[in-house]
Amino acid sequence: MDENTFSPMQLDAIREVGNIGTGNAATALSKMLSCKTMMDVPDVKFVSVYELSKYYGNPTDTVAAVFVRSIGGFMCSLIFIQPEEESHFMVELLLKQQFGTYIPYDEIPEHMSDSALTEVGNIVLSSFLNAINLLLGTQHQISVPGVAHDMLSSVLDVAASVFGQMGEMALLIKTELKVDAGKNEDVKDVRGNIILIPDPDALNVLLDKLKVS
Amino acid sequence: MAENNYILGMADLLVAPAPVKLVTLGLGSCIGLVVFDSYARVAGMAHIMLPDSRGRLGAEKIGKFADTAVPSLVEEMLKRGATRPHLKAKIAGGAQMFALPGAPVDFLTVGAKNVKETTMRLARLGIALVASDTGGNKGRTIEFSTSNWMLKVKTLGKGVREI
Repeated sequence: MDENTFSPMQLDAIREVGNIGTGNAATALSKMLSCKTMMDVPDVKFVSVYELSKYYGNPTDTVAAVFVRSIGGFMCSLIFIQPEEESHFMVELLLKQQFGTYIPYDEIPEHMSDSALTEVGNIVLSSFLNAINLLLGTQHQISVPGVAHDMLSSVLDVAASVFGQMGEMALLIKTELKVDAGKNEDVKDVRGNIILIPDPDALNVLLDKLKVS
Repeated sequence: MAENNYILGMADLLVAPAPVKLVTLGLGSCIGLVVFDSYARVAGMAHIMLPDSRGRLGAEKIGKFADTAVPSLVEEMLKRGATRPHLKAKIAGGAQMFALPGAPVDFLTVGAKNVKETTMRLARLGIALVASDTGGNKGRTIEFSTSNWMLKVKTLGKGVREI
């Protein structure tokens, strides 16, 4: 798989799928946190599988990541990834929204903060998947989410090992969400990235369904 | 003489004479393999991503797969003056970053497969694996220094271990 695998039109179709997925994820996040959520138009390009992490930060940056696997018509895996510190702000935002009072991250028990993080990641990624499966007209099932707090490069090994089995290039579908904490004085803005990792051949299914194969 | 410092990226493979420090940042399921000869004073490292090249030998970076990286690293060491009986190996990495309860996902266990294949390839070439820090669910940053022939393994939240 490399830059010649897909035509510009096909890459546009893939970008649009990313756009629709991210749009739905942003709406869900916005509802869940009662905050304005913004998104960038997804960046779709082929990059070296050996350098994936540089598109998201420094290899040793600490990140919080939620992973889900989706099986069905369009087989893929998704990672919702955030700078560790910003995942703390997001947990604070969610708990403030749920309980009405601000609790600093350090005072939240770990099982509760991880549970909150997993739940937000799950909602974001499920919304992304629901939208694209609806678009493609495919059925899907989503796994229970897995969570990790670790170095960016270590977390992205998951993506690198999937793309690496297919070749030396990875199709980067980079989408960024920004949560604007607005007038909340205690809590800060939050960013997150959704990383789509299609199974080998899943992109062909996607292009088939969109009739641009 | 000051140590030369090299940071290896994914699928890189490098051999250098002492004094040298070889570093790999943020290993997840990948393997950091060190082969060294303290008599000939030469060391090498490979950042292995996957267990098996499935016949795509030579088409891609040689350090990417365990089945190509291990013999290539050994060969390169011998070219640089190392002798086979003195070769020793250390490995770190091969973690499983995510676990999904009740849903075994083949590619999430690639770390364990990397460890298995690397270990097997070393054994097949008769290279003694003298230390390893593998598995678990945490990423690792590793540094091998020819000043003491030790491999420093840093794990987030667990500090530093020398093997």
